[in-house]
Amino acid sequence: MIKFTKRTLLAAATALPLMASSVWAEGLISIIVNDPANPYWFTEGEVAKATAEELGYEATVAAHKGDTNTESRLIDAAITNGAKAIILDPANADGSVGVVRKATEAGIPVFLVNAEINESGIAIAQLVSNNAQGAALGAVQWIEAVGDAGNFVEFFGNPADNNAATRSNGYNTVISQYPDLIKVAEEVANWDRTQGYNKMQSIMQANPDIQAVISGNDEMALGAIAALKEAGRLEGIIVGGFDGSPDAVEAVRNGEMAYTVLQPVAVFAREAVIQADYYIKNGTPMVADEKQLFDCLLITIDNVDNYTAPFTLTN
Amino acid sequence: MQTGEVVLAARDVSKSFGAVQALRAVNFDVHRGQVTTLFGENGAGKSTLMKILSGVQRPSGGEIVLEGRPITLNSTVEARQHGISIIHQELSLSPNMNVRDNIFIGREIMGATGVNFAEEERQTAALMRELEEDIDPLTPVEDLRLGQQQIVEIARALSVKSRILIMDEPTSALSATEVEVLFKVIRDLKARGVSIVYISHHLEEALQITDHAVVLRDGEMTANAPRAEIDLEWIVRHMVGEKYDLGTPPTGHEMGAPALTLRGLCVPQGSGLAVDRLNLEVRAGEVVCIYGLMGAGRTEMMECVAGRLRPSAGEILLHGTDIAHLTIAQRIAAGLVLVPEDRQRDGLVQTMSVGGNLSLASITRFTKRFMTNRRAEAAIVEASIRDVTVKTDGPDAPIGALSGGNQQKVVIGKMLATHPSVVLLDEPSRGIDIGAKGEVFRILAERAKQGMAVIYTTSEVGECLAIAHRIIVMRRGRIVAEFGADTTKEAIMAASGEARVA
Amino acid sequence: MSEIPGETKMAETTGKPRARGGFDIAHLLLEGRAFFALIAIIAIFSYLSPNYATIGNFLIMANHVAIFGLLAIGMLLVILNGGIDLSVGSVLGLSGVVAGYLMQGVELEWAGVILYPPVWAVVILTIGVGAFVGMVNGVLIAWFKVPAFVATLGTLYVARGVGLLMTNGLTFNKLSGTEALGNRGFEWLGFNRIAGVPIGVIVLTLVALIAGFLLMRTAFGRWLYSSGGNERAAELSGVPVRRVQVLVYMLSGVCAAIAGLVLSSQLTSAGPTAGFTYELTAIAAVVIGGAALTGGRGTVRGTMLGAFVIGFLSDGLVIIGVSSYWQTVFTGAVIVLAVLLNSIQYGGSGKRG
Repeated sequence: MIKFTKRTLLAAATALPLMASSVWAEGLISIIVNDPANPYWFTEGEVAKATAEELGYEATVAAHKGDTNTESRLIDAAITNGAKAIILDPANADGSVGVVRKATEAGIPVFLVNAEINESGIAIAQLVSNNAQGAALGAVQWIEAVGDAGNFVEFFGNPADNNAATRSNGYNTVISQYPDLIKVAEEVANWDRTQGYNKMQSIMQANPDIQAVISGNDEMALGAIAALKEAGRLEGIIVGGFDGSPDAVEAVRNGEMAYTVLQPVAVFAREAVIQADYYIKNGTPMVADEKQLFDCLLITIDNVDNYTAPFTLTN
Repeated sequence: MQTGEVVLAARDVSKSFGAVQALRAVNFDVHRGQVTTLFGENGAGKSTLMKILSGVQRPSGGEIVLEGRPITLNSTVEARQHGISIIHQELSLSPNMNVRDNIFIGREIMGATGVNFAEEERQTAALMRELEEDIDPLTPVEDLRLGQQQIVEIARALSVKSRILIMDEPTSALSATEVEVLFKVIRDLKARGVSIVYISHHLEEALQITDHAVVLRDGEMTANAPRAEIDLEWIVRHMVGEKYDLGTPPTGHEMGAPALTLRGLCVPQGSGLAVDRLNLEVRAGEVVCIYGLMGAGRTEMMECVAGRLRPSAGEILLHGTDIAHLTIAQRIAAGLVLVPEDRQRDGLVQTMSVGGNLSLASITRFTKRFMTNRRAEAAIVEASIRDVTVKTDGPDAPIGALSGGNQQKVVIGKMLATHPSVVLLDEPSRGIDIGAKGEVFRILAERAKQGMAVIYTTSEVGECLAIAHRIIVMRRGRIVAEFGADTTKEAIMAASGEARVA
Repeated sequence: MSEIPGETKMAETTGKPRARGGFDIAHLLLEGRAFFALIAIIAIFSYLSPNYATIGNFLIMANHVAIFGLLAIGMLLVILNGGIDLSVGSVLGLSGVVAGYLMQGVELEWAGVILYPPVWAVVILTIGVGAFVGMVNGVLIAWFKVPAFVATLGTLYVARGVGLLMTNGLTFNKLSGTEALGNRGFEWLGFNRIAGVPIGVIVLTLVALIAGFLLMRTAFGRWLYSSGGNERAAELSGVPVRRVQVLVYMLSGVCAAIAGLVLSSQLTSAGPTAGFTYELTAIAAVVIGGAALTGGRGTVRGTMLGAFVIGFLSDGLVIIGVSSYWQTVFTGAVIVLAVLLNSIQYGGSGKRG
């Protein structure tokens, strides 16, 4: 009994700096991302937090890791804590509608980043990358590197995330123009590097002749690269990613990855907080359109040196 | 170094476990290069004495003298260092490892790059040659016959240069041929100066190999003599002696129709039979005692009748009706119950209270429409506590707080609370004090008078002559003798121990 | 049978010897440790955050606890029997998916109709699915003697897989039904509140009461406790141990199905990944509540306290803004502490036979 109490107090003491005092300066902004273990979501959370603190708010970053139940509990906590605004990267395009509605009905404006929900009129703003544009951008670059014939593999993200389908459709719109480019395998790897690795190994067993890989995100692409390296088959195979994470950029620099598409996550994470601040102070949305698309940028070996910070290209 | 002189001795050794005194000022001599056999009934203290001599336990009083010098043995390792090894009845080999690794377990020969398996193998092969056994050191122990496993244990004891070897019931699981081999090995060991302490219930057999005999009874040494001066009758006489009166067969009532009939009952075990074409008939109001040594098949027979083991042949009739297809619960409902041998493993639910255990077999009696009736249950528990005189702090006391004797009474009470017509008890008096034993038998005798058929097994011959109307001797799954209540202990023991192990 | 060389067996003790006088306080604390832990947690977090100790927040936290609590009740029954059920998280997910599937309308191509079962039918069918999975577990364990860990681990994967297959990885979101089809009312399974109390909490209370009654006042409860405490002794006393085993896993499946229904209603969506790793939290709740993993010991009250301890602790950490990684550390520390205290309470048990 005593041990337990002491431990909690100790942890609480460590947590105190996070809270400063019970009275938060301008108020609390709750930031909820997917899984900070992925550098993309980590940057998303950190940039939002930094922006919020810059504007004088207290900010917390929490993770739902794709589980709608956890997401629901985190929203409940934000409501309980009287947050002034919530920045949310929703877990599920359909499944997260309920929690966004819950928060809005409790009087807290919700700003969605990175992924959308399939209903408008509830969240104040949905700031996402222009995935369609980014996918097209990437696919064109990919064709340039691969040529117009060959066998390739596609990696698909988490089906619950609309972005997975958007990117895949974007790729296929471009690639289907070249009938000699044959998709020998398409696998769902849920945005995860390990799954990309395992699936690539299996695919290689079944398909000895592969010229290229196109992936819904960087993590899956990096997994595929690792599998190819391990089998000694990376040489000559074109791999394309999407996100613009530091690891992917490094791979581009090394020539392992042909290119990646940078999601301006740093841009729209910051923008979301700025729009939230505006809304808190003025009661109306800063931008009239709920859905706001932010264009993606291509990163290749040519402009890789402009990558100065995670998810940031300086021109 | 003279053959025959005392190499190890226990002087006035006593041992108590709490309030129970297992050994009382025992004097025991082990003679160099000779076999000393220790005789005694269950509970006499043989195992306790051996555990003290081999370092497993420490004596509460007295001392151990080795080569004339008193020593203390704080562990089996220390005892082994002094040259004393014990081979337990339950062999302590690891079946999944091979012979070589078992012999060197815990004292592996280390080389430059780890264990020196080659050297170990060489030594093992040498030991096997010495014992004239053709066993490949790399054979997994589980592939060996029991007799061969015993040889491996002996080899292990020899490899640690044991000078004194204690063997606890070494032949109980051996075939006749293997026993011959074992005796040959023992003679070889004697020739090399190893002293042997031998414990056995197989009296005739022990007489073949022993040079000295010591008899323990109730923790005291009652006799000790060289081989020339003893015979079977001498042993038995000193083993059994006078016992506390455990009652007499109940009289003054009519024995009714046959309550339990077994015809040609066979219970398989491994590739053979534990119970071999057994025929038995017990009438209502009759008390039958079944006597037999380990391996006789008493427990298998009882568990089969109770419903836990399936027979491979034969009939079981309860009041004339065939019950072989009934479940245990159905047999209990029909009036046939079993009080098992191992109360910790099979008799008590250690997580429940005394009351919970007592009412366990009678749940249907106090349940109506899914709901248990607390008052009805309390009545059953109370009556039970009274009936079998359980000494407890009330029905809610945890079962673990009771003494062994009272725990046994709870198991018996649980079964009697179902108002059975046939009650089977497997070693009901095992591990309980003499007073409780008397109470248990009294309760059983009373129930018999009321018309219950009682069948109990025992491996202590004195208990056969307590309340039984009939005494049946089992050996190797068959009935080999039947006596009335007017027989003698000697006759019973002779009937079970006399035939050769064949 | 082996003859035990004569040595009187000392009474094997399985409870701490009750010392008189001053020691009773320590004993009392040990027995009531889950309760005191809960009080301590509430006190500490109320101090650390003004938002914690409000009726509103307690109800919200209780609503979160409801899901794990329902799973924990089923898990308690299984653990009392000496087993374990690793599949409950997957069954929760599968049940939600089945409910969602039924609410979308079942298309019968051969008949050319789409069936829209009313909500009460959906509930019954979903619970039936849970019971079925439980029965598979029970039969594997009781009749085929597959170790509980292995059998329920297998079911964990199969159930999760079936859920993913049925949805292709997506979620069912149209759960509210329409008036015209006669299948409204799904929100009443968990989303709505009655007199301000979330329905999830009401369902949890009802199930807990029923389970408590089952354990304390029925023959089944007695059978369960005895076969968990010593299966051989129970069997020889006439307890139908195999039947009890199958039933207990079915009940666990039913509890998981109910939890799945409540959760899908709360979230207004049913996804196949719901409940992932929830079985571990359920086990933790049972252990913290004082049940012995070897079987035969434990109560519904203790398990509820355990579930609330975990729930109020993790929600409290979220409210004061501690990172989710710390939450994992804490939950683990609490579990280890609980098992330690369990072994102190049940310790001193003599070696068996």
